[in-house]
Amino acid sequence: MASIIVSYGLQYGCMLIEAALICYCVSSARRAKRELTPILYLAALLGAALARSSVLHIYGLRSSKYSYLYWTTDFLLVIAAFLVVCLFFRRACFHQEKLWRFVRLLLFFTFVMVVGISGLSFLNHYGRLSVSYIAEFSQDLYFTCLVLNTMLYLMLLQIESTDDQLGLLVCGVGIQFAGPAASMAFYHLTTGDHFAASLNYFTLRVCTLGMLLVWAYAIVCVRDRGTKVARHKIPAFAEVTAD
Amino acid sequence: MKNLVLTFLLALLVVLTAISARRMVAGNSTAGVSPTLVAIGGDPVPPMDPPPKPPKPSN
Repeated sequence: MASIIVSYGLQYGCMLIEAALICYCVSSARRAKRELTPILYLAALLGAALARSSVLHIYGLRSSKYSYLYWTTDFLLVIAAFLVVCLFFRRACFHQEKLWRFVRLLLFFTFVMVVGISGLSFLNHYGRLSVSYIAEFSQDLYFTCLVLNTMLYLMLLQIESTDDQLGLLVCGVGIQFAGPAASMAFYHLTTGDHFAASLNYFTLRVCTLGMLLVWAYAIVCVRDRGTKVARHKIPAFAEVTAD
Repeated sequence: MKNLVLTFLLALLVVLTAISARRMVAGNSTAGVSPTLVAIGGDPVPPMDPPPKPPKPSN
């Protein structure tokens, strides 16, 4: 009983935060333009959650309608996540055109390869065309987003970006991607233990909530986007002489 | 040309890392454990195969 209450609490809590953040961002035209990437992703999350909840409530978990809706929205969400990571890369390389040209090509090659590798699964499961291919593609792209997001975070550290808000947004995406993957690894290590299964179920929602809280902090509290220039390093010699 | 090859190799590395990570934590089921899926959002995951359509009544 308690787990059901917690589960519903997390689900509706996520929806409320998503709706509140979208309202906060679109309340001002300037803010809406500035936070366009988070708004689009939050709208996709909220739309998918509302559609899934209503269809699940009406038709049930094992119905074909819920199955098709779930996998379609899963495909759209993972595409949206990939676009968000691409737009974050663009924002990180805003003043470095040479780096952006390299990253753009990298993202293009990556996407094409994921489509190709998932296509192998399509050939193996020709009879179960739609669901199998979409699920395979979504899973591959999910883990690719996880790797790309980690690369983006390392790149932000490397170029010493002053865009603190972007750093927090990237951390939020990292929580959402890395948490469930770690939880699933734990689930398999414990050979499907009941506790691990429950943890795996809750981790998805807790990680989404964690991402939303980090994004809320980044959008509401961290308004300074930085000047996109490298942080000025104080030479060690100057630090010594200043004492 | 050299940059193009390097970019391609880096993209290949990214994708192979992602696929390996996926196979490691999700794809290979251990004894008695069916492979699970990661997903965005916390909604319950439906069965992979939708239920078959009921056969048409024969006359």
